[in-house]
Amino acid sequence: MKILIVEDNAELLRDIKDYLEKAGNICETSPDFPTAMDKIGIFPYDIMILDLGLPGGNGFDLITAIKAHSPEAGIIVVSARNALDDRIKGLDLGADDYLTKPFFLPELNARINALYRRKSHQGKIEVIFNEIRILPDKQEAYIHDQMLPLTKKEYDILNFFVTNKYRLVTKEAIAEHIWGDHTEVLDSLDFIYTHLANLRKKITGLGGEDYIRSVYSIGYKFTDHRG
Amino acid sequence: MKLLTKTSRYYLALLAIASVFSIALLYVAIQYMVYQDVDKELQYEGERIAFYLQDKGEIPRSNYIYQIDTIRGNAGNTGSFRDTLIYEAYDEEMIPHRQYRFYASTTGTKQFRITLRSRLLDRNDLAVTLFISISIIFLVLMTGLFLVNRSVAGRIWSPFFNNLQMLSDFKLEKTMPVELETSDIEEFEQLNRVISALIGQIEKDFFNLKEFNENVSHEMQTPLAVISNKMELLMESPDLTEPEARLLKAAYREVNKLSRISRALILISKIENKEFIDLDPVLLGELVTDILDQLEEMIHIKSLTLVREIKADPRKKGDPILLNILFTNLIKNAIQHNVEGGFIRIALDNNHFEISNSGPPLRNSTDRLFHRFQRGDANASSMGLGLAIVQKICILYDFQFAYHYADGQHRFRLNFGGM
Repeated sequence: MKILIVEDNAELLRDIKDYLEKAGNICETSPDFPTAMDKIGIFPYDIMILDLGLPGGNGFDLITAIKAHSPEAGIIVVSARNALDDRIKGLDLGADDYLTKPFFLPELNARINALYRRKSHQGKIEVIFNEIRILPDKQEAYIHDQMLPLTKKEYDILNFFVTNKYRLVTKEAIAEHIWGDHTEVLDSLDFIYTHLANLRKKITGLGGEDYIRSVYSIGYKFTDHRG
Repeated sequence: MKLLTKTSRYYLALLAIASVFSIALLYVAIQYMVYQDVDKELQYEGERIAFYLQDKGEIPRSNYIYQIDTIRGNAGNTGSFRDTLIYEAYDEEMIPHRQYRFYASTTGTKQFRITLRSRLLDRNDLAVTLFISISIIFLVLMTGLFLVNRSVAGRIWSPFFNNLQMLSDFKLEKTMPVELETSDIEEFEQLNRVISALIGQIEKDFFNLKEFNENVSHEMQTPLAVISNKMELLMESPDLTEPEARLLKAAYREVNKLSRISRALILISKIENKEFIDLDPVLLGELVTDILDQLEEMIHIKSLTLVREIKADPRKKGDPILLNILFTNLIKNAIQHNVEGGFIRIALDNNHFEISNSGPPLRNSTDRLFHRFQRGDANASSMGLGLAIVQKICILYDFQFAYHYADGQHRFRLNFGGM
């Protein structure tokens, strides 16, 4: 999909662009308000990622402009202000989702994918990774056409992994994606391991391969590359 | 001591001294006038008698005459006054009299020494009368003064007392404008000006500090995002050694903690800035049950026993997000600062929410419990901001909040009856 990233911090802009391009997207970037306005006018994007605190203009005006030019585009607002009224205002104007800085790139990627699926009403969408087939509409997953008996959380973890395949997903990112900030009451994130063990058992039980690799005990990578 | 009482005491003392002096002064003055009057009276009477004696050759009738002596030889020619006490049978006491003795003669050679007497004022009576009248005046004055003082004080001092009340109700967090009552009294106006300037300065400083905190927290977010992303990129490198990965992991965990702290600080700023203005009716029983369901897994992971005593589902007005944060923080606090295999008891009725949990006693004083960055135990993952947020929300909604520790049990009690 085509993504426009509007963000004034060059490093963050590059990180987002790299991450999303590696996930197979075409990305355009814009560091400020005027160039963002120009790009919106010229080219239709599937998803736009907007930082609200932009030099040269108000991010809210950008949402209004996007809605006027390409009402089909999905908008994800990214802001340092986790101002809940900013959030409501942004959503009122037509933004589809909201992420507060700092955020995990796998989380942004997951949100983009979910939003893209919601936006493109192309009937059944399937996400396929080798023998694994995920039906996001139904929240179901299959191995070799056999349905995986997953709990809600196991499904969410699997979907998160597949969306961010081949990339490192830290335990922190998984915890925040699945449990929000509720895990901060725990001294460690080791409990995630229990969920992963169950997920692995269910996948291998149906003859699937275990693609979950531990990375330095920091996080995991969902990959079919060996080594 | 109240201002009115204090001034009244001084007035009372002054009046008492003045009264004693006026009694003495009046006594002396009245005595003096009476002497003057009586002496003059006696002297005139003496002159009349002497004249009559010369003219008619006999002593006239007079009420003043006490004694007439016939004398021979040379007589003095001046009269003399003296005081004397005479027992009066009617009054049954000694009464002071003034006596005037003079000499008079007929045209012949008959000489007389005439003694005239006139009754003076009874000294005791005078003193008593004076004392009584002055006392009455004193009482009337005192009562009058008190009444006038009170009504005047009521009127003149009312702006002062109103302003005093307003200032004692003043809370920096409430950001209520302090509108001092004006008065036509110069000193009060001066006081008002000083207070207004002072409050203005304090509010400005407070606002600047808050704005600074907020800006710092906001400005931290983007760099934190960059740091966190770069670390993730670094972690993807296949050439990391195990010790390097451990260092990276530790740093990564701290960066994430930092971003949670700055988010919590922004939340506190937002509560203080009254950015949560929604007032929707929220069903607290439902809300607490929801939160417990969400945190069930965390409670389970820590092997805690949860006792729910939700007896009511009170409807309270407030911002749904804030109320959610309030109860979530309290429950999370009970999970986090618990012991393995401990318990959490949650009770809710129409006016109270109470949460108790097992746990080690606080390391710091209870007073500092709600301060920022005060951790009750050595829990490293704790930010020390949860209860500060709870307190801010309680202040915003006028909830009474109490903490108690006994027998290895922490108990927080929230009273929201007033809302």
